[in-house]
Order: sequence, then structure tokens, then C-alpha cells
Amino acid sequence: MRLWRLSHKELKETSRDRRTIITLLMMPLLVYPLLSMAMNRYLLTSDAETVPYKIGVENEADGQWVQNIIESPDSLPPQEVLESAGGQLAEFQLFNTSETLDGKPVSAADSILQGNIDVGIVSEGSPKSYRLYAFRGDLRSQGARRIFVERLKWYQLSQLEKSAPQVSAPKIEIVDTGQEQNEPILATIVPLVLVLMTITGAVYPAIDLTAGERERGTMEALMASPVPRFQVLLAKYFAVVVIAMLTAVANLAAMFTTLWLGGLLPLLTGGDAFPWLQVLQILGLLVLFSGFFSAVLLSLTSFARSFKEAQAYLIPVMLLSLAPGMLSLLPGVKLSGPLAVAPLINIVMLAREVLSGTVVPAAATIAIISTIGYAAAALSIAAHLFGSDAVTRTSDQSFASLLKRPQRVTAVPTPQTAAMVLALLVPIYFVCSNLLMKYLSGMRSVMLGDLDDLPLDAAAALQSRSMWLSATTLILVFGCIPLVATWLGRSRMLSTYRIVKPGLLAIIGATIVGLGAWAIAHEAFVIADALGIGGLSEKRIADTQKMIKAWQVIPPWVLLLTLAVTPAIIEELCFRGFLFSAILRVMSPTRTILLTSFLFGLFHVLTGNALLVERFIPTFLLGMILGVIAYRTGSVIPGMAMHFVHNGLLEMVGHYHEQLEFLGADFDNQTHLPPYWIAIATTIAVVGMAVVWFADGRRKQAAA
Amino acid sequence: MLTVQSLTKTFSTDDAEVRAVDDLSFDVRPGEVYGLLGPNGAGKTTTLRMVLGLLEPDDGFAEVDGVRTKTDPIGVKSRLGFVSASDGVYPWLSVREMLLYFGDLYGVEPSVAAQRCENLAKLMDIESFLDRRAGTLSTGQRQRVTLVRGLIHDPPVMLLDEPTRGLDVVGVQTIFDYIEHLRDVGKAVIVCTHRLDEAQRLCDRFGLLHRGKLRHTGTMPDLKAATGREHLVEMFIDLMKENA
Repeated sequence: MRLWRLSHKELKETSRDRRTIITLLMMPLLVYPLLSMAMNRYLLTSDAETVPYKIGVENEADGQWVQNIIESPDSLPPQEVLESAGGQLAEFQLFNTSETLDGKPVSAADSILQGNIDVGIVSEGSPKSYRLYAFRGDLRSQGARRIFVERLKWYQLSQLEKSAPQVSAPKIEIVDTGQEQNEPILATIVPLVLVLMTITGAVYPAIDLTAGERERGTMEALMASPVPRFQVLLAKYFAVVVIAMLTAVANLAAMFTTLWLGGLLPLLTGGDAFPWLQVLQILGLLVLFSGFFSAVLLSLTSFARSFKEAQAYLIPVMLLSLAPGMLSLLPGVKLSGPLAVAPLINIVMLAREVLSGTVVPAAATIAIISTIGYAAAALSIAAHLFGSDAVTRTSDQSFASLLKRPQRVTAVPTPQTAAMVLALLVPIYFVCSNLLMKYLSGMRSVMLGDLDDLPLDAAAALQSRSMWLSATTLILVFGCIPLVATWLGRSRMLSTYRIVKPGLLAIIGATIVGLGAWAIAHEAFVIADALGIGGLSEKRIADTQKMIKAWQVIPPWVLLLTLAVTPAIIEELCFRGFLFSAILRVMSPTRTILLTSFLFGLFHVLTGNALLVERFIPTFLLGMILGVIAYRTGSVIPGMAMHFVHNGLLEMVGHYHEQLEFLGADFDNQTHLPPYWIAIATTIAVVGMAVVWFADGRRKQAAA
Repeated sequence: MLTVQSLTKTFSTDDAEVRAVDDLSFDVRPGEVYGLLGPNGAGKTTTLRMVLGLLEPDDGFAEVDGVRTKTDPIGVKSRLGFVSASDGVYPWLSVREMLLYFGDLYGVEPSVAAQRCENLAKLMDIESFLDRRAGTLSTGQRQRVTLVRGLIHDPPVMLLDEPTRGLDVVGVQTIFDYIEHLRDVGKAVIVCTHRLDEAQRLCDRFGLLHRGKLRHTGTMPDLKAATGREHLVEMFIDLMKENA
């Protein structure tokens, strides 16, 4: 509530400023009509009439026929028709597609696909009929064919007028070729407009609300107030986002109105109807673009001491941002692989694919999550820098100071550090797991493809290699990044990672929870599948069964070490240690548990290029149980015990699958467990939780 | 009310380390005006900034109402009022909006802040332009708005940094009246200034700061007895000669 009031003040302040109003309203009112006039002029004067259309034929006879028509004055439209069309006559050039430089004849239809000619004309049979090829959906190609057919019709008409019955009109067949270019021009232009306009809108308020505070002399009073810097900055951030969005909306509205008034809208959208869907999509994209740019700009302007300095920082950033914007104009670039996590490039590509209707949900999710991460990181940098210079003239705060270790040891990392770590984890984990998938070319099949087709021993070898590499990735990414952050922030290891010696009872309780929890996770997985979340395909089920078969061949210690011990230690240290202690500084225990569980679930979903959505609910629930244990015991160790038992049990069940068949349960991933199994497992988990609760109470009493 | 204990701060430049504040300790009681005096560069502002929690001390702490900067910096900030000569205003907000904004920053209930704003406006005679845009105010009007801003959360301790710098006679008198008011309502006040003549008229007790160290402290009679000099100016000249 207070945050809203603080944002409201920032918004009020900046929106009353004349300079904001100028960028917000004047720019779109002036720029687009001018732009539209220029575009109209360009469309009228260029293209069609000046560059001759290329007609391709496959033999001399057809060439002769075409030439007769286009060179005959009979094919010219009457003077009045010509004048009404602007007085200019379209020009044609004739090509024989069977005569190529490399001596390989090309059919007229193929030549169109290659973009060498605009219209292809092919004759057939006797008397001759003609097929007229044009590129489907291509304005120039379609236009060229239309003009040629018109000329042909004028020609035939005058032949008839001259009553020359010997010239019987040949049959004409219209044929379209190629894939329609269903990417409307809107999809290439709008991302660029979004980049330009959100950045234009965000620049002034970003400078005004940060560097401006220094120039006005209000910074010191602001910093002396008992509001955490991050909150002050967040209020400013919301205000900048709103102004950036309003500017972009004003610009887009001006753009659409001008185009609509000028009759150019169908050209952009590829249809006659008003593009309501695209407008909605653009509004959604706007939030993403404004959120991203506002955070990035604030991180730079927070460092500047004056308006001038801030402007000097921002101009290169604006120019740099245009390069990814231009990417949207290049055909063939797709939102996938590393591009999905490349800052800015990913949202530009996302905008283009959303508007052309070709977006892939997994790539889009990764692009959105990583962008939120980048915005959070930029904001935490901004919060670190903002106000630091107001404090003293001799302050040593600078961008380099971000990597400088503080002089004092702290107990736990700051939430800003946690935000930075998260922002790094998403893209790095994504890239690492992608590399892993690429390296194990066959590994992809475990997730998506055709493990099913591999012989068992090959599948097992592949499976164990991938397990070792996954474990290594886990250690390198989730182990090392928080560790480096802890070292850089000079936070105490034991308190950061919550490494506290727990009571024996707490460990026993957590172990018991682990024994029962796997059944809960399994059921959540099956329910998620039944609800259609993720949706296990037949192929995927076959792969999973093959994977379980492979597990039976892999030595149990390899399974335990890579899939139980490593995740239990590393994931607990990261999620219930580092992140938990940092978040607990600013949030209530309940919210901390919810947030860490959410993040825990999220990272289990983001695996390589595939989004394993069905893993979210089970891992989120597990995260909740682990979070409660971690909070109640005050230590990360009981959670490790539970995590280990939970994972280990799943693998051992997989390994000794056949030996366990007498129990009557089928352990694949899509059938419910027998009800009495669920009852037993739930009871075990509840008893375990009770022991953890009781153990901690005892410990506290003992301490008292 | 306010206790400063062993505050120390060293700044490192490229070629040297400067000890801006060196083992500084003093306290200020409610209803007392304490003058932290010294020439430019003596460490007055650095001390204030450490008390305000804007700078982290290398050693020592400040304590307000039993709350320490080290353990609860936010708690300390909420108990301090701060006014500086270089304070500005938000030109596009009205005076009232700005005052309420600061009330919000200090966690004052909006209704309480609104009432306090009215009362202080009467006291400091800013009622007539409460709803004017702050950017249109004269220097004197701005100064009074700033003084009200420092009191909007009714802090027990007030810190004034060079409050009379750049003001005319009327402005200086406003400051004098303001400090008198603070003393009357029982605030503990620290005034940092290098205007020794003004300080001598204003303050109950003094701390003479030179090169980061507190050289003399006490009431005027204490200082006279310790230095054998009648005026603060003379005492300072002696101090500076010592270190020359």
C-alpha cells in the first residue's frame, strides 16, 4: 500500500513535468503523420513502376508469345484507363529460365520460388493453354501477374475487335506457388517500434527520478528516511514503467490511426479487419519491454550524478538497443537456443513470433522468465548504486564496487544478492543444460525423442553418462554461483547456508517424511498429467519405461550418487540455504517457504529446450515440505536427509523394479498407486513431520 | 536521548588514507541544543551522515532511544529529523504533497500527517502557499518548507547541517526561532556549523571538532575554563595553530 502511494508520488511528479508531456504526446502526434506521408510517397513513387517486372518462360515459343503481347500496342490499355492509373506503364523484362549460367535449366515455377522472376509462364498441349505462376501472398509477384493478365485481355479484346477469328484466345490458368509469407509487416515493424518507444518513454523519467533527485537536492533527505533503498527504487521503477508504457501506447495509437486514415493498415496487418488480437498482444508485449528497459535505464541513471552524465550513459545504450531491434527485420532468425536467453534479443524475437502467430510456448516462457530475471538484476544494481553518491563526495560506490567485497562480514546475503544470483542462474543453467543436451546427441531422446529405439545397453550407457554430466552441471551452476556470491558479499558461510547441527530426532523425522513423501510427489505427478498439464505423450511414456529399464542396469551407487546425494546437498544448500536465508530477511516465513518452493519448482521445469511442466506441482509440493522442515529445524541438514531419501527411494524402486513387482504396484508415471499405498505413505509422511515438529520443540526447550 | 560512541570513519583515496572522524563520543539530552563545531573539513558532516545511517562507520555506533545504528539502522532513521542547507524541494509537487510524501516515507499515518502538516504550517507560517507548486517558492519560503519537512514525523532528535548557510538576516532569524521551538518541545538537537558566532548564541553545549577529533567539549563556561579564551573563534584559532 505504501509502495503504491510512493509510486503514485513519483508518477505525479514526473507526469506534471513538461518534458515528460512532450515525449509522451508531442512525439507521436508529430512523428507518425510525417512518417505516414513519407511512406505514402514512397509507396506511390517507388517499386512497381520503376523496376521492371521479370517474366520467366521455359522456351523460345512461349517467350515469343509473351513478347508479342507486351510489345504490341494492342495490349496497351486505353488512354483513359492508363491516365486513371497514374499515366505510367508497367515495364516487363523477359527471361528464359532454361538458360542459366551454370547450364542447368530451371522450371519457371522454381525460378519464382528462388525469387529470380516475378511471374512464370508455361505453355501446355495443343492448342496451347498457359499457366501463369505467381508467388502466393507476395504483393509484387501477384501485382505483376495481374498487370500481365490485364495487358493480355486488352490484347485479346483488340484482336477480337479487328475480327481476327484465327487468333483464338488460349486458355489461361492461374497458379500460385510457394508458402504464403504469413508474417505480416506488423510483426517486423512493431518490435522495432516497441524498442524505440519504450526506451524513449523511459529515458526522461528514469533520469528525472534518479539523477534528478541529486540535482534538486532532495536525495539526502530521501536517503535519510527510514525506507529501504530497494523500496524507494521500486516505487520509482513502477512510475518509469507506467510512463514508458503510456508513451508506447500513445505512439502505437498514433501509428495505427495514421495508418488507418491513410488506408495503409491492411498492408501492415495482411488483412482488412482491424487487428484487435494483435493490439492485445502488443499491449502484453509492452509490459515486458517497458519492464525491461525501465530497469536497465534505472540501473544506469542511478549511477549518474547529474542529468548530463545520465544522458551520456543512455545515448550509447539507446543506440545499442537498436541493433537487436533490427534483428526483427531479418528473416529466418528464430527464438530458440541461446537467443531465447539473450537479453533484449529474446523479447524482440518473442514480439515478432507472437505477432506472426508462430511462437513456441517453451521458448516464450524461457524468454519471459529470463527477462524478468534481467530486470530484477538491473534493479538490484540500481538499488546498490542509487543514493550512494549522495551520501558523500568521497564515496567509492561505482560499478566496480559491485564486485568489491564489503569490509564487514554479514550473517546472510542481501535480497539484492539473491536476486542477482537468480538472474544469473536462469540463463546460465539454461545454456549449460542446452549444451549438455547438444553434447549428448542421443540424450535428447531421453526427454523427447527416441530412446525407445536404442538397445538397452546403449541406452543405459547414455543414461549414466547423462546422469554424471547433470550432476556436474548441478554442482557448477547451483553450487558455485551462490558460493561465489556468498564470498563476494562476505557473508558467513554457516549462517548463509543455514548449516546448523540439527538434533538427531529432527534428522530421523525428516528421513521418515522422505520415506512417505515420494508417494505424494508421485500422485501429484499423476494428477498433473490427468489434468493435462504437460501431457505425457505415448512416446514419452515409452521413453520413461525405457529409462527405468536402463536404471536397472546402472549400478545403484551411480544412481544414488548422481540423482540423490548431489541434488540433496546442492539443491538444499541453494534453495533452503542461500536463497532461504536471503529471502527470510525481508519476507515472512510463510512467504519465504512459498517463494523458495516456487523457484524450486520453476528450475525443475526449465530443463534444456523442453519445458517439463508436469514436474512443477510435485516439485513445488516437495519444496513446501522441505521449506517447512528447513524453517522449523533452522537447519539445512534435515532437509538434505529427506531429499536424499525421497530421491534415493525413487531410484531404488526403479532399479529393483522387477524384484518389487510382488508388491502389486506399477511404478510408472501415469497410474495411481493403490489407495492403501497412498494411505500408508501419507501416514508415514505425517508421522515424520510430527517428529520434526516435536524434535524442534524439544530442542528449543532444551536451549531455554 | 542521542549517544554517539567511538564513531570512526576512514576514507581511502588513491594515495592516502584520511581519517575523517576519529573515535568521536558525545551525547545530547532532550531539550538540549548541542553545537558540533569546526572549520570546513573537520568531519562534522561525516559524523552526521554516520548518525543518519547514510554512511557506515568503521567503528563505533550512534544510539537513539536505545536503538543502535548497527543493529537497527531503519529504527534509528525513523527517530531522527534532518535538515540541511542544501536541501531541495520537488518542483512539480505542491508543498502539501511533498510534506505528506515525507510523512509516508517515515511511516506516519496519512491522517496524522495531514493534521501535523496543518499545525506545523501555522507554526512556520507556510499556510498561504501549502497548495502551491514547490518550484514557484522563494528561497525563504523553501527554507521554511524544509524546516517543516524535518518535523513531519515528530522525531525526538533533530539534526541540522549548516542550517544558516546562504540565508539573509530574516532567514537566519527563522532558524533561530525554529531551534528555540525545538528546545521548547524537548527535542535533542545537534547543530553542525562553522558559524561560531551564531553557535555561541544558539547552543547549550559544544563539541569542538578539528581534523576528525573532538578537542574540547562542554558548556561555554567549561570551554572557557579549559582554554582560557573568551570566544569560540579564539579557541579555534588556537587549535588550528597547534596543528599547523
